[in-house]
Order: sequence, then structure tokens, then C-alpha cells
Amino acid sequence: MTMAQESETHLPGSYQRLRADGQYRVGAEPTTIAFNHIGKRGERRVDGYEKATGKALYTRDMVLPGMLFARVMRCPYAHARIKQMDTRSAEALPGVRAIIRYDDPEVKGRALNGSYFAQGWARPKLAGWALKPVHLVLADEGWHEGQPMGVVIAADTEAIAEQALRLVRVEWEELPFVLDQEDALKPDAPVLRPGATSNEIHDPRKTFKFGDVEKGFQEADRVIEFQARRRAHLWAGAEMPSVLVRWLDGRMELWVHEQQPYHAKQLLAEWLDIGMDQITMNTVYQGCSFGGRGNPANHSENGMNILATLLSKRTGRPIKMLYDRRDTFFGESGDIATSYFKVGFKNDGTITAVQMKNIFAVYVAATGVDHLVENTKIPNLSCEAIPVDVSIGPAWWARCEHLPSCLSLTLVFDHVAAELGMDPIEVALKNDGNHGHDVSYLLQYMREHGFPERDSLKECIEIGKRAIGWDEKWHQPGARKLPNGKLHGIAFTWDHNWDDSRGTGSAAVMIENDGSVNIIGQHVDIGPNPWTPLCQIVADEIGVPFESVHIKPWTLDTGFALMSPDGSANLVANGAIVRKAAQKARRMLLELAAEVFEVACPEELDIQNGAIFVKADPGRTKTIRQVVTKAMPMHCSGAFWTQPPVLAWAWHAQGIWGQADETGRPRLCRQAHFMEVEVDPDTGQVDVTRVVNVNDVGKAVSPEAVEGQMYGGTILGVSRGLIEEMVWDPRTGVLLNGNLLDYKYATALDCGPIDTCFIETGLGHGPYGTCGIGEATPTIIPALLSPAVYNAIGKWVDDFPITPEKVLQALGKI
Amino acid sequence: MHNIATDVATHSVESLTLSDNVIRLIINDEIHQLRVEPDWTLHYLIHDRLGLTGTKTFCDRGACGSCTVILDGRPVLSCMTLAIECDGKRVETIEGIAAKQHPLIDTYVKHHAMQCGYCTPGFIVTAKALLDRNPDPTDEETRQALAGNLCRCGTYPQHPTAVREAAQILRKG
Ligand code: FES
Ligand code: FES
Repeated sequence: MTMAQESETHLPGSYQRLRADGQYRVGAEPTTIAFNHIGKRGERRVDGYEKATGKALYTRDMVLPGMLFARVMRCPYAHARIKQMDTRSAEALPGVRAIIRYDDPEVKGRALNGSYFAQGWARPKLAGWALKPVHLVLADEGWHEGQPMGVVIAADTEAIAEQALRLVRVEWEELPFVLDQEDALKPDAPVLRPGATSNEIHDPRKTFKFGDVEKGFQEADRVIEFQARRRAHLWAGAEMPSVLVRWLDGRMELWVHEQQPYHAKQLLAEWLDIGMDQITMNTVYQGCSFGGRGNPANHSENGMNILATLLSKRTGRPIKMLYDRRDTFFGESGDIATSYFKVGFKNDGTITAVQMKNIFAVYVAATGVDHLVENTKIPNLSCEAIPVDVSIGPAWWARCEHLPSCLSLTLVFDHVAAELGMDPIEVALKNDGNHGHDVSYLLQYMREHGFPERDSLKECIEIGKRAIGWDEKWHQPGARKLPNGKLHGIAFTWDHNWDDSRGTGSAAVMIENDGSVNIIGQHVDIGPNPWTPLCQIVADEIGVPFESVHIKPWTLDTGFALMSPDGSANLVANGAIVRKAAQKARRMLLELAAEVFEVACPEELDIQNGAIFVKADPGRTKTIRQVVTKAMPMHCSGAFWTQPPVLAWAWHAQGIWGQADETGRPRLCRQAHFMEVEVDPDTGQVDVTRVVNVNDVGKAVSPEAVEGQMYGGTILGVSRGLIEEMVWDPRTGVLLNGNLLDYKYATALDCGPIDTCFIETGLGHGPYGTCGIGEATPTIIPALLSPAVYNAIGKWVDDFPITPEKVLQALGKI
Repeated sequence: MHNIATDVATHSVESLTLSDNVIRLIINDEIHQLRVEPDWTLHYLIHDRLGLTGTKTFCDRGACGSCTVILDGRPVLSCMTLAIECDGKRVETIEGIAAKQHPLIDTYVKHHAMQCGYCTPGFIVTAKALLDRNPDPTDEETRQALAGNLCRCGTYPQHPTAVREAAQILRKG
């Protein structure tokens, strides 16, 4: 049986059907067009001027006549119940227009709905709000400090709504709480979940086993054990969440700040028991959120939408519900964990077994072993992922759920290399592979599926080594002191590029009567410059200038919805969607043109740079406008007539989350990352002086967009690995740094020069061989800080963020 | 009594004693006479009341620079400035800078010094104030000047290039 046949048999049923329909593609797809705009530098980004001039409107900026402002109460304790609430003073405050309490019949006992997600692995119990013990829309019990609960108030101004909240008198019953995931598993810990006997959240997906680790440890020359810890950090996006709702007696309009507006609409319609056709869902520009606004089942999205709608219904006025900055301190990135590793390896660096245990706080989307599976030939792996309830906000994936996996991959390899005194690149290449196979498996897959046969990882490593000067600079740990007194560290890590295998969506391409082209399909821009590449693709597929293509992403009411950046894959799914729609529209246009030109078939014609011409006689040419307006005149009332534009729509299923086993597509594009640091042995301060990223992006549709993601991800990664940490008071369970003065993140001064190297092998599963880039660097770079600091000081600090205090402790100075 | 700057092109204004809570501001070269509440921030006034929505709040508390406006030539955080204290002052917002076609707009777009764009106006306003006082900043000076502006999308590396190119264009006139 060849590997291709093997992977086909692993495709889940629904994907086999999609594949038969031609929607799901396994294998490379030959490019059929010439690239004029795709891959070109200097194409003017389509959102640029609106953003730079301040004209871009964000949800937070939206207003409607007569709108009221709403704020919701927050739980002031780590765990507490409302015994009594007196809202009379708040009600009496001039300017207060509506108050909904937890005991109001419309909300009492009513949970947030998440049933839409109830099937498949992405069901809500795996992450987010749904992991909390009870998830009511307006609860009388708070499970973490800052939880929205109790009462929501609409008033003439935000200040009045705030003042009214302060006038609400509550008699609280404080309840026991626990903050740390390991403490929560101790026998004397208070059990948070009603009726449960432990704080462990049970889920069938929490273990992974491959091969036989015991056998692997027996075969090893050496076995090491170590542990790591990742503390809480969060997305903390630029724009504070808000929603604007207008109830219209059974029908409603919303402007939302969401990554998945379609799913949000489904949930809202279900909760309110109204038809989805009654909801007009609009989106405008959105301040970045990286997944933080990507779970429509969370209270911060669905709950907010429901409460704002109820208030709009009651007042007959538009409601703008706002979070302030403190309110945004929920939804920690899903890698708060204590990790235990046991690794067996041969003296030549070959790893024979890895055993891991990850104890997660309120999270379990990924076990944390995936990238060891997907990047290595390690024959024996086991991972236990234990999600634990603690009294902090629900965690959720944000750029991205692979954080625990990238941490494991880097730590395992770099610890083995350190034990053996070997160059970590050598150890990486010795174990490189996929799902227990060595690299020849990937090369054979490429051969059998029409891809170019290239060792992407080796190519990335060679480029990166040269760029950072690895051969001259790499040294044994703690061995290089710089003239400025600081310790120099250098490190390497690697991975595959992911996010080329997910997403489904639809869009239309419309050629207007004047020959200009519109992409129609709701889509949210959360930051990665998603629209310029789509316009580049459509321009090249039809054969028109880039400047004549525009996108209309603002409402779901068009009936088309591009893949939102919730499932990580953005361009790979949406690029395929708009490509298909553009190809169909081009075909329609050429069919019309065949009539106008009076040629036998469309194949005799071509379109370039907006001009349609006869291939055999290129002098015979017409503009698109001449063809569209002449092709199908629709006469009405005498002299007045219009023509239908050319419109074609398409949908596409790029795939599901998963590896070759589930998808038939092993990840072929790889990446290598290098970092230099300087550690001050007196203060413990770690300065990142250089980062070299090398990504195989398959094909860079917009090189500047690729670089933007690599820069941004590196900054976020350094920020997460060195600086960011949410701190709770252990005595009260109250978050102490819920603002951007005390919760620090990286500024322009916190990272040295960043190299953004990329190669284009065409090995991605997206259109033109593309693969994802947005999630790679922010997810990998935090882990890279650990071997960099180790190389500088000769001691491991596997406790993130790597603060000066921890470095000094490792150095034995405090 | 307050002096209104005299170099406004189209208006010449007598100094008046204004009643309580009424202030005069020159916003992007236009004179506004406004009744304000004592607790209104300058941000609330220009964003929420006047609809100049390019000035964003991101941190809401003096930590991020996205609400920066230029007040009498100096970049200030409008979320931390009370409107009532600005009587007689000249305010420049991103809308005014864009209307004058400052080269920073073009260079920011060209060099992709933005991703989601939410922080971008704040950066451009801060950079404009830098170029007003230093027509030829080094990369390091630019980084220092922009160090008070947060960008969660991590666009920092692209800014010095955009600022330097705008400076060059301005110097060439
Ligand atoms: S909003 Fe004013 S400094 Fe952040
Ligand atoms: S571009 Fe998104 S916060 Fe700066």
C-alpha cells in the first residue's frame, strides 16, 4: 500500500464525500495563471489609507441615533454568591433607562447556549467559558473575579451606567476558591464544580499514546526528567470589546466585534428563539484580537450580544454595550500549565521516547504533544493532558492553541542537546520526520502528490544559520561573556508551518457594468492584512489590474461569508474561495465575450490587464466594460435599461484541523528560528538582540503581509516569553494587574532587529501552494527564549515569563 | 480670558470672557466654542462628541498612546487630559494631519506600518510631532519617540522606515 492510499483510507467520511465533489483537495494543484500581482511587492494595501488617516471605523466608534450605553456588573471576588441585591438607588438615578437583574424572569436560570458547537471535537466543553462550572447569561454566582454577572444597566451615557452600577447594593456570600492548577488537585482543595469530587475536568481527548514509551526508555542510553511552567498571559487586543444592537420588533441589526459573526448570529437566534433571517449582522474594522474574539459561545461575545439585545427590546432604543480595559482581562491564552517531561535518547542524539504530562488551568484544547508527533520520527510518545478548574477566567486559544506543543518540541530537543553537549540543530535533524517516519516519508508524499521534492526544513536551517552566523557564534552554555559584561546566548528551534488545512467559506465575485470587480462576502479583518492578497488573487485570475478589484466585507446579509480568522487558516481558505469564484466569473465573462466578438468559443479569447482580446488576432480587443454592457441588455420602460453584472459565487472546504491521519495531508512547509540574547548577570535582565525567522510559506501572495506577520508575531512572542504575566492576589484571588500599565507588553524598545526570511517551495496545501504564517512566530518564539537564556547562563529557566528575578534565582544570586 | 493663536487662516477672533464650562479650541485649524462638563476628557470631547473617531482609546488609561493628539505643538494623551483645561489651545488630530496630506500617511501605507490599524493614528500623530521638532530623526530617536505607543499587532519594526522616508520627503519640500 502506498502512502497516498494509506492517507486516503484515513480521511473521515465527510471529507471523502467533499473530495469526491472536488471541494476537498489532497495533493498539489498546478497553477494555471501567470502571476502579475500575486507575489508582487509594492501593491498598495487596500485598507491602508482608511487606517492611516483615521477614517477606518471600528465597532467601538459606531453610533446610532438615540442609542443608550450598557455596562454589566463584575464579580468582585474570586468566588462568591449574591445573597441579596438592592437596585432601587440605581433605578432612581436620572438617566438610567433599563435594569435587568439575575432574577429577572427573562434571564433567570438561562444558560448561554453553545449547542451549535455540540458536535465534533470543537464542542464548548473543551475551552472558554463553557469550562466554567455554570454559565448563565446573568448569574448569581461568580466563579472568578471579573466575571460578568448579577445585573446589567442601560443609561443615557456610559458614565451614568457606571454610576448606577456603583449604586447597586449587594450582600455577597464569599465562597472558597483556588488559583493554582496543582493546588486545585490536592485532596484538601475546595471543589469548585457543584456535585464533583475533584477539580479535574474530565474529557476523553486528554491522552495521546503512540508506540510504547517504556520500551523506548529501555532502548535509551540516557533518560532525563525536567519540568516547565507557563504562567497566565492573554490576548489583550487593541480595541476594547463592544456591540451595538438595534431591536426592531422581531427583527434586529447588530454591529459586532467578533471573529465569527455567522456563528454568533446562529447562537443569538437560537437563544432569542427568532429566525436567523431576522438578524442583520454587520462588521466594521476590528482592533486585533488573535482569537480573543474568536469564541462566539463565550460570555464576552454571545452573552454580551444577548444582554444588549434584551436591553434594546426593553427600551426600544439602540444599545451600545461596552467593556472597559479591566473587563478585557479574561480569556487567558490556553497554555497556563505545569508540564512534566521524561525523555529517553541515544548518545548520538536519537530520541527513543518522550513521556509528558501537562496540567492545564481551565483549558484543554490541545494535549501539547502534537508538534512532536508532526515533526519527528520519535517512535514512542505519550502525553497526558489534565484540565483543572481554578478560580480564574476561562482560558481560550489566542495565536494559538499550539503554544503548549511548540513549548514541548523546543524544550525536549534543546534539553537533549544540552545533556549531550551537542549542537541542537544536529539533534533536530537527527530526529526530523513525521509521525514516527523519517524524512523520506515526507519526500515520498511530495513525489506521489505532485509537489516539488524539497527538504524544506534543511533549506530553512541553512538560510537561518547563515543569517545569524550560527557556526561562528554557537558556543557551549555560559561560555561567552561580552565586553559589556553581559552573557551572550544563542538558540535555535524549528517546526512545521501549520494553518494550511482548515476552513470553509463562500464568496462571490462580481464584475460591475463599468468593468470594475468586487469581492462580496462578509469577512473580519483582525489585523493580518487579509484583503489585499484576496484582491491580488482575483486580479490575476480574471486578468484585470489590481486597482480595479475591491472587497465588500461588511455584512452577512449578502449571503456569503468568507472563512473568518477563527480557525486560524485565513488566506489558504479564502484565497481558494475567491480564486474559484474569480475563475467562474472569468468563464462567464468570456462566454459573453464570445458572443460579442462573434467567435466560436470562449477558449479563443483571453483577458489581460483588463482587456479582452482574440488570441489569434490580439489586435481585436475590447474592454471588459464594453463586453459586460453589451452582452445582456435588459430593457425596461422605453429608453431606460440596465444590465446584470457578471456574478459568480463559490464555496470551498479547505479542511479540518489535524494531521495526515485525519486530513490526508502531512505538513510539508517547515520553519527554523534563531535568537540571540544578552543576559545581565547582575540584574537578570534578558535583552533579545536579534531574531532570525525563516519560514517556508509555500507562496507569498503579498510579501509585505508575510513580513508583517513575522515581525508582529516575533514581538508578541518575545513579549509573552519575557514580560507578560497576569498576577492574582493569592489571599483574595483578585487580579492585581488588570490594566495596560501594570500588565506590561512589549514596546518598540523591547526587541532587537528581526530578520524575516521566507522561502517559497509551493509545498503548502493552500492555493498556489500557500500555507499559514500568522500563528507561527508568536507561538514558537516564547519557547525559544528558554534555550537562548540557557546558552547564555548555563542554567535552565523553564518558567515563563523568564523574568529577571527567575534568572537571578537560577544564577544563585537571590 | 484666553488668547487664541493668531495664525488661523480664516478666522480672527476677539478675546471674550466665556461663561463657565465653555471653552474655545482650535481643532485642525477650525475654531470650536464648546460647552463641556468638567469631567470630560479631551478624548471624549473629540471622539464621542465631535465625531473625530480617528483618535482611539486602547488602554483607556495613559499607557498606550493611541489617543495621542498634538496640543499646542506637543503630543499629549487625550484620555488623560481634561477638555476644560484646554481652553484657548490648538489641537491637531489625525484627521487634520491627513487633510493636509502629510507624507507620513503615504509612507505608513507604503511600508505596511500597520496591521489591524487601531493604534496607527496614534503612532502617526506621535511621529508627526517628532518630525515637527526634529526633521531628521535617526531610527533610534524614532524608536524612543514612539516607545510610548503600544501596538498589539507588533508593527514596531516598520515604523522607523516609514518615519524616515516621510522626513526625507518633507526635507526635500
Ligand atoms: S487610550 Fe490614552 S494612552 Fe491609551
Ligand atoms: S496595528 Fe493592531 S494594534 Fe497596532
